Amino acid sequence: MPEDTDWEVYKAPPKRTPVGERATSLPNPVEFFQAVFNNVIDRPVTLIREWIERQQNRNKFYYYHQQFRRVPDVSECVEGDYLCFFEAEAQWRRDRMVDREIVAIVRERFAACQHREGPNQFQNCAKEMEQLLQVTKAYQDKYGDLGAHGNARTCLMKQNTAGFILVSGVQTRYCMGQL
Amino acid sequence: MAAALLLRAAAAWAARRAAGGAAGTARLLPPAAPARLPGTLAPVRHSSHGKRMFIIKATSFYDSRFLKLLRFYILLTGLPVAILITYVNIFIGEAELAEIPEGYVPDYWEYYKHPISRWIARYILDPPEKDYEKCMALLDVEAKKAEMRLMTLEARRLMRARGDGPWYHYETPDKNLTDDSFKSTPDN
Repeated sequence: MPEDTDWEVYKAPPKRTPVGERATSLPNPVEFFQAVFNNVIDRPVTLIREWIERQQNRNKFYYYHQQFRRVPDVSECVEGDYLCFFEAEAQWRRDRMVDREIVAIVRERFAACQHREGPNQFQNCAKEMEQLLQVTKAYQDKYGDLGAHGNARTCLMKQNTAGFILVSGVQTRYCMGQL
Repeated sequence: MAAALLLRAAAAWAARRAAGGAAGTARLLPPAAPARLPGTLAPVRHSSHGKRMFIIKATSFYDSRFLKLLRFYILLTGLPVAILITYVNIFIGEAELAEIPEGYVPDYWEYYKHPISRWIARYILDPPEKDYEKCMALLDVEAKKAEMRLMTLEARRLMRARGDGPWYHYETPDKNLTDDSFKSTPDN
């Protein structure tokens, strides 16, 4: 089943509109529709969902995020050691997947902030914007022009050429490290 | 009975119309003409549910047979699969994410969320470690083969060049068979 969004993560801050006084003695139609929706749709659905969760809670089981051991990099492999290449390549691909997910999460945070703030986004979302800029720049530096068939070896070559262009003092061994 | 009532109502209406026509022609509302199919004079009144008609239309036998067979063969496996998946989703449910406890090494199928994925990973597919090792074994064999081929080429080259190895030996006749003594004529 597809991943459900976690409603608690991007919750908007509580609204501060003041409670208004009743000006008429007529009942509010919104309350009527809310009551109808609650009783006709919300209550039965909630009851069914709770029943299903009771059935599922009788035998719970868990899943974990797999931790992979770090293996030597491509840069530490002797030429002709194909097993070392294979393991380093697998590790590089896993790292690239993780980096892609990181970029996606940061982008999602920025989008949520934008949606929340509306016209105030340029002032209030500056932190998220800065974070997104940094993360995307780092991703571009690491995996940028490798193309669809990039692998650990091409990334190493890119790092070797990019090292000549960068200003000295900036860390150059960032192809194989974490983002 | 309904037809009889209809007849009586029609007769009364006709009588009223005749009387109205004799009284005066000016009327506030002219009587509406009954809707009629072209070419008909009056509706036919049967005492039954109407005449049985033989309606001529193109055959739907082949179409309905196809749709029946389609539904049958799709639902033959579709329905059990749907019931199974519904049962699994409602009564077994998905796994919950948890931190790996200290000192515990999860089995390779415990990294999946959905129970059917876990079942497939556990009973049908090989563990990923086995796939990894098999791949590495293939690479190792091929790497060793490539190395062996390069070494044989190098050995062959050296033996041919130096002539001191077991290869590139061409049998020549024994030198003791040659007669080096001086001959009486030059063309011996």
